[in-house]
Amino acid sequence: MNLPNLFLADLGPALELSPTTLRDACFALRRNREDWLLRQRTRTLVEILAYTAEQWLEPGFGFREVALREGPGETGFGVATLSRGLDAFFRQLTVENLEALIVQDLGDVRRLDDFTSTAVEMRGGRRSLAVGPELLVHLTAGNLPNPALFSMVLGLLTRSAQVVKCPRRGALIPRLFAHSLAATESKLGSSLELVAWSHAEPGAASLEEALFEEAGCITATGGDEMLESVRRRIPQGKRLVAYGHRLSFGFISRESQSTYAMKRLVRAAADDVTAWNQLGCLSPHVYYVEEEAEGMAARFAGELAEELARRESTEPRGDLSTGEAAAIASRRTAYALRAAAASAVSERNLSGSLFFETSTSAQVWASEGSTAWTVVLDGDPRFKASCLNRFVYVKPVRGFDEVLRFAEPVRHQVSTVAVAAPDDRMDALSVRLARWGASRICPVGRMQDPPALWRHDGRPALGDLVAWTDLET
Amino acid sequence: MRLQNRLHDSFSNLLSDVRLFIERSSGSAVPPSGKEWEALALRLFGFQCRNVPVYGVWCRSLGISEASVTDWKSIPALPTHAFKDFDVSSLDPADRVAVFHSSGTTATRPSRHHHSVATLALYEASLEAGFLRGLAPLPTGGFRFVSLTPEPGSAPHSSLVHMIAHLGRRLSSGEAVFLGRPGADGWDLPLEPALETLVRLAREGRPILLLGTAFQMVHLMDRLAGSGSFLRLPPGSRVMETGGYKGRSRSVPRDELHALIRGRLCLAGDGVVTEYGMSELSSQAYGGESGLELPPWARLLLVDPESGKEVGEGTPGLVRVVDLSNVGSVMAVETGDLAERRGGLFRLLGRAETAEPRGCSLMTP
Repeated sequence: MNLPNLFLADLGPALELSPTTLRDACFALRRNREDWLLRQRTRTLVEILAYTAEQWLEPGFGFREVALREGPGETGFGVATLSRGLDAFFRQLTVENLEALIVQDLGDVRRLDDFTSTAVEMRGGRRSLAVGPELLVHLTAGNLPNPALFSMVLGLLTRSAQVVKCPRRGALIPRLFAHSLAATESKLGSSLELVAWSHAEPGAASLEEALFEEAGCITATGGDEMLESVRRRIPQGKRLVAYGHRLSFGFISRESQSTYAMKRLVRAAADDVTAWNQLGCLSPHVYYVEEEAEGMAARFAGELAEELARRESTEPRGDLSTGEAAAIASRRTAYALRAAAASAVSERNLSGSLFFETSTSAQVWASEGSTAWTVVLDGDPRFKASCLNRFVYVKPVRGFDEVLRFAEPVRHQVSTVAVAAPDDRMDALSVRLARWGASRICPVGRMQDPPALWRHDGRPALGDLVAWTDLET
Repeated sequence: MRLQNRLHDSFSNLLSDVRLFIERSSGSAVPPSGKEWEALALRLFGFQCRNVPVYGVWCRSLGISEASVTDWKSIPALPTHAFKDFDVSSLDPADRVAVFHSSGTTATRPSRHHHSVATLALYEASLEAGFLRGLAPLPTGGFRFVSLTPEPGSAPHSSLVHMIAHLGRRLSSGEAVFLGRPGADGWDLPLEPALETLVRLAREGRPILLLGTAFQMVHLMDRLAGSGSFLRLPPGSRVMETGGYKGRSRSVPRDELHALIRGRLCLAGDGVVTEYGMSELSSQAYGGESGLELPPWARLLLVDPESGKEVGEGTPGLVRVVDLSNVGSVMAVETGDLAERRGGLFRLLGRAETAEPRGCSLMTP
């Protein structure tokens, strides 16, 4: 299947983009939006999205085949990881879910079509219409494709012309999704544009600034430094919806560690670690295991290691850059050395102060002859960011209080906390986590599988894009 | 008592054998052979395996014994990280006269590399011989040493400052000058006084060797560029830059930095030399933009992080250095840097531990 040249990103790196080209493209996008997109009913758009998503779930769907054939080379994800991640995403894009999202964020499913009232508004004699930005610019990150795809979905619901800026090595899947939407309804493709460059390329800043001038609203996903640079360069009065990088962890309560429950939990934790090779903001860096007796965390770590070894045969991680592999190799060595030292101290009854400065215990389980997966049982309970790509920490704690205390340094960066706890503890734990700052609490195994209605980093993703017009009567 | 004596004896034998190796490598008619290097490396490995406790533990945990290692490439490397957590030394605490720390922020625990009088002397012999190779040919009459680092009294734990001070004492034409001072988080370089001194020394007309870290060089060059000025160093002058940036100045690719320095200081094509060294090692690599080279008493091994096997020419790998002059600590060290070989030289490609997974900016060490 050869993709036609529908979008600027289809033309590859050979295309030399200029700010003028982008401005012209934005002009055309806005005109096409007026001509068609703005005239569509929500129901039509939702059906187009849901129909396209349904096709993506079909093994024989052309765009999916291209994604799975060319995706591993471009994204670094193995075929199984990629198809699992895409399936999880497209399963969420149903008519029911998209309509529910509109109701949740905007109060009524017709909010984007007509002036409507909720019961409260009606009592006040008021009707309201939610209006999307004329032109929406998305600066997407390249670690995994789903957030870029979902940004496009939201922009369609708000009837916005859209420019999706992808990193050079992260444009394939967004392009395929855009092509698939255009294949369902060609007019839809004409108010959508995709471009690709890397932040560090010469000329990138002037291209971005041309887009900022044109945009009514900008969404940006990336690191603090990148977001800060975007924030500085956006003209006054334009809206920025910024998604900074987040990190996530899990908590396994002492009540959840019966032999039977443990088996299930270990499989679920392996789902979390292998999903998108742990590269998303919702992927776990650490599992905190609440210990009733010493050794529970070690048991969890050992079983998780076995499960990750099995996954490597069914869903291999895929190749890494030398730098990424080196980061894993270096960390493994550091912990293996600590493990060897700690066991030498205990076996030979050597005093820790004799030649070791620190004697926190550690144990490492790791794939042999590759960096495919690593589990580190770390006696030091302080939160530690993983080097990812299926490298996970397991840390024993005596209680939930310790988790919050040891994760305090990353408190304001935490997105998701996966919790395994009995119902009678769940309410109290959740309220504490919410007030502490976590924006999402989910079962172990579902970290990288947020529902379409998910409030991204604690904010209404659709609601944040629209402006309201109130009609008082 | 007898055992103590034997160990002591063996240690001093090793020290003098390594020293002899370094001397014979430098300017001798018959430089030592590769076989001699390997034999000495294996002897040193055996000694360190027995006498550096944490290294012994590490080797045993890898299932490696003294007898099982028959070629130098199988000698287990200790990560530089170990110098932070463990006492990597065979020296009796009473014999330790100096300790070098890795640079870094005050928040992290530094590496510590201990020296006795004898190992410090070997460090000095090694660094001096290495410097003379790396900077050859030196101008007749020598360089005036001007360092952007603090003077040794206010940076007693910097192996770099110790090195510069030693070289200054031995080789500088006129007293070595130190322009930096210790700051809240590392070293500061008061730019205006530094420039005044440089201008004054440049007027004297003797070739200058300007030494400093890459980030100090960037600060100095930015200052010159900011006012559109140039500082014409006397003919034959050179610059030796070393080390990374650690977030203290804008990070500039090495080629660009060299071009910047050459331009602002009016230096010839080979005027800027890179030095690659660290507190955990006693030898340094030198080179230019085409790559770096270690002296003959230290060897480089690049390994694939996936398999741990040696990589071929042009393939990036993790840097291991086997440095014979690290007698009192551990000779085989994995540095956490990435590099590739190109025609006998190697080029540094970055740090392994700061390699970020795609799209992620939350890596904290």
